[in-house]
Amino acid sequence: MRQLIRTLIEGDSDAALTAARRLRAAGVPDERIVSEGLESAMEQVDAKCTVEAFNLLEVMLVGRAVTVVASEHYPSGVPREHGRATVVIGSPEGDVHDLGKNIVTMVLRGKGYRVCDLGRNCPVDALVDAVEREHAAALLVSGLLTTVIPRVRRLRPALAERGLTHVKLLAGGAALRQATPEQLEVDQVAQTAFDGARWLDAVVARERA
Amino acid sequence: MNSLERVAATLRFAKADRTPVIPQVFAHAAVRAGVPIVDYLHDGALLAHCQIEARREYGYDAVFAFMDTALEAEAMGCRLEFPEGQYPDVTACALSPDTPIGELAPPDPRRDGRLPELLRATGLLRSELDGEAPVVAVVLGPMSLAGQLMGTETALYLAVDEPERFEELLDLTTEVARRHGQALLSAGAQVAVVFEPAASPVVVPAAFFRELLAPRIAALFAAYKAAGALATWLHVAGDVTPILPYYERTGADIVNLDYEVDPDEAGRILPHACLDGNVRSLAFVLDVADEVAAEGRRLVARLAGRGGFILSSGCEIPPEARPENIAALVSAVRGRS
Repeated sequence: MRQLIRTLIEGDSDAALTAARRLRAAGVPDERIVSEGLESAMEQVDAKCTVEAFNLLEVMLVGRAVTVVASEHYPSGVPREHGRATVVIGSPEGDVHDLGKNIVTMVLRGKGYRVCDLGRNCPVDALVDAVEREHAAALLVSGLLTTVIPRVRRLRPALAERGLTHVKLLAGGAALRQATPEQLEVDQVAQTAFDGARWLDAVVARERA
Repeated sequence: MNSLERVAATLRFAKADRTPVIPQVFAHAAVRAGVPIVDYLHDGALLAHCQIEARREYGYDAVFAFMDTALEAEAMGCRLEFPEGQYPDVTACALSPDTPIGELAPPDPRRDGRLPELLRATGLLRSELDGEAPVVAVVLGPMSLAGQLMGTETALYLAVDEPERFEELLDLTTEVARRHGQALLSAGAQVAVVFEPAASPVVVPAAFFRELLAPRIAALFAAYKAAGALATWLHVAGDVTPILPYYERTGADIVNLDYEVDPDEAGRILPHACLDGNVRSLAFVLDVADEVAAEGRRLVARLAGRGGFILSSGCEIPPEARPENIAALVSAVRGRS
């Protein structure tokens, strides 16, 4: 397991896949490979990546390695019963940038979340539909452009119209992270992918307690 | 002092009549004039007109010859979409992960895409403002252009998986920036900005900037100086503190600081560079004018004493910014020497 974690942290996808296959051949169950391997690696990267010392490239490399291993074990995604929680993520309509969103998706999948990724340029209704359909605990939006702010502000009332007032709203991305939660009418604004993931961890843990 | 004299004095760390103020007004100039952004981005004469009118109304110290960050990529074969009221998005990249880099050539600034329109805008701005205010041309940096040509995510993976091929791509994009910048300077621009958001330490490690990007940006700035640039200006988005120690080797005269950077620390690291910044861009959309003015006055009080300081936004002023907030920033430098 140590070798899997080390190769994941180094972002070496091929070596990580070999290590994971070796564990599987030795009879280690998929669930343990995910929880003790992938999640541990992501937690160690999380500890290293503070708001002051965080860059997308390093996280992308770890995320890619984690995704490669996770996809082999769960080709259709993490089953609901194994996931930490389900979240929906997307870039709001009017924003076709998705690098930040993809990083968050990789980090959350690495931490054991079931992530429904709607991609970019997502209308408010599509985001809310997915939350309802997937019974998601949270809706995450990432925006590089300031022009999406009015659409982000429409999410809370749109969720409320469907009776989804319990769903947490998290925003991030280069433009949105300059705003306060009050300005965006969301529960939290994340400065980095890990910052958002930590907040989500705390919310999920509170709701399970 | 007029704006050109004020900026020139500030660049020399000499005494100016007041701190220069140069909010990064790009497509907001179109919105303010009631002009569709898509028209502004296709018509050099319209762009020049909107820039001149915006400066006249707000009273700041420079104009920008800049269309959008997809300009060079489009001229090299990327397909764009122009959503209403926004900058264009790349919908089809010119380079796939498997395309040989050598298949792509630098565009001709006088012929390809919208580049000739930007040259036209630059010439018109210079003839209108000659001797009065600097014309600032903006060129996309090598890393950011690589991201536009191939997709940022793909380009970043390429940097790790095939470093030699990635450097070949960076050499191509540096050559594009050199030719484009030199053409803009020949057309009348006096200051050349390398806009390089993808070089941010938020995106790539500091060593990546030091080894791969700083030498190429230095080569660009040397070429721009040789072409007669009054000043070179480096603009990297986000918290650039980890890479500031490498800025000196790029030869940048003006260093843009985004809102997350401590300008006092930047001044300590770069004692000879003119600093530019750093009011939060979103403040021009979400805050009230008094808050923007107060932030501007606070920055002037902190930094005007060092000499090389231009009050500005940390990054672009969003097109939908509140006009009164831009006016408030400009008001922050009035009555101070």
